[in-house]
Amino acid sequence: MSLLKVSGLVSYIGLFTILHGIDMEIQPGEAVAILGRNGAGKTTFLRTVMGLVKTRSGTIEYKGQSLVGKPPHKVSKMGIGYCPEDYGVFNELSIEENLILAKHKNDAATAERIAYVLDLFPDLKKAFKRPARTLSGGQRQMLSVGRSLVNSPPLILIDEPSKGLAPVVIEKMSLALKEIARNSTILLVEQNFHMALIVTDRYYIIDEGKTVHNGLMKDLENDKELQHKHLGL
Amino acid sequence: MILQRLDTIRKIEVVIIVALAIVLLIVPHVAGTATVTMVSRIMIFAVFAMSYDILRGYVGVIHLGYALFIGGGAYFVGILFTQFGVGIPMLLLAVVGTSVYSAIWALIVGKISGKSGMIATAMITMAFAEIMRSLMTSWFTVTRGADGLPFRVPPPFNDRTMMFYASFIFMVIMAFLLYKFTKSPTGRVWQAVRENEQRAIFLGYNTNRARTIALLVASVVGGLSGVMFGLLNRFVNTDLLDMQMTINAMLYSLIGGTGTLFGAILGSALVVYFQNLLLDLRGVHFIFERWLLFIGALYIVVVMFMPRGIMGFYYDWKDKRAQKKRLLQEAKLPPQLNDEA
Amino acid sequence: MANILTLLFNGISEGALYFLMASSLSIILGLMGVVNFAHGALFVWGAYVFRMVFIQTGSFFFGIMAAMVAGFVIGFIFEKLFVSRVYGNVGAQIMITLGLSIVFTELIRVFWGPTPLIVTRPEFLAGVSHIQLGGVGTVIISHYRLFLIIVGVVIAILGHLLLTKTRIGMTIRAGVQSGEMVSALGININLYFTLVFAAGGALAGLGGALFAPLSQSINPEIGNMFQLDAFIVVVIGGMGSFMGSAVGSLFIAIMIALIGWYVPALSSVAPVTIMALVLIFRPQGLFSLLGLLRQAVKK
Repeated sequence: MSLLKVSGLVSYIGLFTILHGIDMEIQPGEAVAILGRNGAGKTTFLRTVMGLVKTRSGTIEYKGQSLVGKPPHKVSKMGIGYCPEDYGVFNELSIEENLILAKHKNDAATAERIAYVLDLFPDLKKAFKRPARTLSGGQRQMLSVGRSLVNSPPLILIDEPSKGLAPVVIEKMSLALKEIARNSTILLVEQNFHMALIVTDRYYIIDEGKTVHNGLMKDLENDKELQHKHLGL
Repeated sequence: MILQRLDTIRKIEVVIIVALAIVLLIVPHVAGTATVTMVSRIMIFAVFAMSYDILRGYVGVIHLGYALFIGGGAYFVGILFTQFGVGIPMLLLAVVGTSVYSAIWALIVGKISGKSGMIATAMITMAFAEIMRSLMTSWFTVTRGADGLPFRVPPPFNDRTMMFYASFIFMVIMAFLLYKFTKSPTGRVWQAVRENEQRAIFLGYNTNRARTIALLVASVVGGLSGVMFGLLNRFVNTDLLDMQMTINAMLYSLIGGTGTLFGAILGSALVVYFQNLLLDLRGVHFIFERWLLFIGALYIVVVMFMPRGIMGFYYDWKDKRAQKKRLLQEAKLPPQLNDEA
Repeated sequence: MANILTLLFNGISEGALYFLMASSLSIILGLMGVVNFAHGALFVWGAYVFRMVFIQTGSFFFGIMAAMVAGFVIGFIFEKLFVSRVYGNVGAQIMITLGLSIVFTELIRVFWGPTPLIVTRPEFLAGVSHIQLGGVGTVIISHYRLFLIIVGVVIAILGHLLLTKTRIGMTIRAGVQSGEMVSALGININLYFTLVFAAGGALAGLGGALFAPLSQSINPEIGNMFQLDAFIVVVIGGMGSFMGSAVGSLFIAIMIALIGWYVPALSSVAPVTIMALVLIFRPQGLFSLLGLLRQAVKK
């Protein structure tokens, strides 16, 4: 059974149709990139899966259960981690509090998981008690990604982790995501083709609110024409 | 001629308005004094509510101190008449004074709403009316506070029938002026501001200026309706500066249909009539002594379930019909086929 | 000199009441982007329920408790049935809470009549102390006012601890920034909206209950005045910030007390004028936090 199955998904924001026809199937253990131009609907797609944007028609199934109409907190509890665009970390809360807030359970496994996050991102350990507003962009992104791992969710949705980061930090972040992808399924929205190439094996291209193409990353890497057509590279 | 000029109003609507106008003109000759006064009040409140609709419906400002204007206008009339004598010159002075007073408030509120947004504007305007009320209460020697100030009015306004015609003319002129404003280039900027201020700014509109103009127009017209109300009522007290007056204006324009201008006339007629009905029911059960309870409940129901009001419903229906017609023409299909779809 | 000290003391004690109103308004505004124009009505309900229970049971404590419960329950109803339907629509929020304020103030008149009612102070707090200060004269300390200050300080400390040390507080602080993200972490933010609104109602009810024995006379209008002053505090002082509203409350209460004594004609005009000046010249707030208001509007 596939982990996430989306078919014929349509959603609106206000009066505007943003998505009109997303079809996607993700198997457990995969790392999949969602590519496409700015404004193609990638962010809205992740937000629709999370229940932050209303689904108008179509289906979203996670582990065989429908996500349509579920409020965000239920979607999260079903085992989907989410790192929004622009980090979504709570600036007035310390790193510690940001992580505690994400905990679904207060057990040993979760505590271990937080320790794992701090090992993965040593920067976070150093600034553990500091409010998130004092962190750099890269550190905030680490916190956002780390926070999504706290409950060991089987599926993690990550929205443009490379945005606004320096090339060195992108490199670091790519390796961390690659590491995370060994144990979880990742759905990565990314403009940075280089990062997507390191982290993911398969891709979907969204254009004007529709999934228009999918295949293996290594094929896309060599297909300059396709890159140009859909990604404007 | 007029039919052509009011191009966006359809002929059928003009017919309705003209018919209504004729009925209104007959009213004072057939109805009793109480009804004549009530209809006069409805027409004056309609202007007050239409001016409010310019703010709420056209530029999206929630002004919770709108009583400042109806109360202010009435106080100008009352104070000038009692202090300096009853007469037309004093009335003209009241009109000028009210306009200046209303314009000053408009400029202050414009400054604040441009900088601090809708919520802060709502909060501070509420406070402004409260200040004015407390000032009028403490200026007891002149205003006699909550006890109120009775006064005589000069002819022709001392005659109920003449006052009725004056209110009618006032309403027609103000409705026409406000309508012209909404159709002017400034009015189009107002609508852009209401729909999406960020976008309007992006398109290069000076939204602060447009909003301040709306505030100026609305406040001055609101103030003038206060002058008229003073003439009709021949009495003014601090209740006219109460939050309740603002709520009335909101309710009239809301029920009629926010952003539809003429809806406010309809709303004012319905609500004033309803209020009178509740007052008449006081003898039946003591609960009707608290008629405000029902008005408040009505208000909540309208906000929650009928946010576009009566005219809103009507325009929706009209739009739908027009759209259907257009689709039919575009598809160039025989109508019976399309009706089934 | 002693006179001024007495005035300051009285001002601070009334500041405690402003604080109860303003802090809850401000947290509700920060978290939900809603200005509760019915907060004054909750205050009035607190005062009337307090009086009723205080007279029936003879217990000051029960009266206070009953007022808080009433505020909580009414606040709960407000959020659950009305305000929650119009989140994101600022205009509708303002109008709906205004409508609720009319209806619930009118219900007070239905149940208890429109005329002022007398409230007595509990005996153990009714006294007055005259404190002789060497050289400056006698400062008059009303025990009930002292009690108000103590309650204000206790609530401020408890509130601060709740917000900074507990998971609930953490969630509220996070929600002030982005309720959406809080829910995406698996927390039912709507539940927090309801609870915070209701808890705000309880604080407003407490404010009304404490006000009643202070003024010793209550009428259905008292809520309006306190609500307006609380708005002023919220704008001048601590938008979205609990401790900020404490500072703002003290500032406004002391100012009103001093102006009311020396220039009584200006006592109602001065605070609103300051509010207007702040909004025109420092829209981010006198203590720099009004930015949250605009954020709330954009939400």
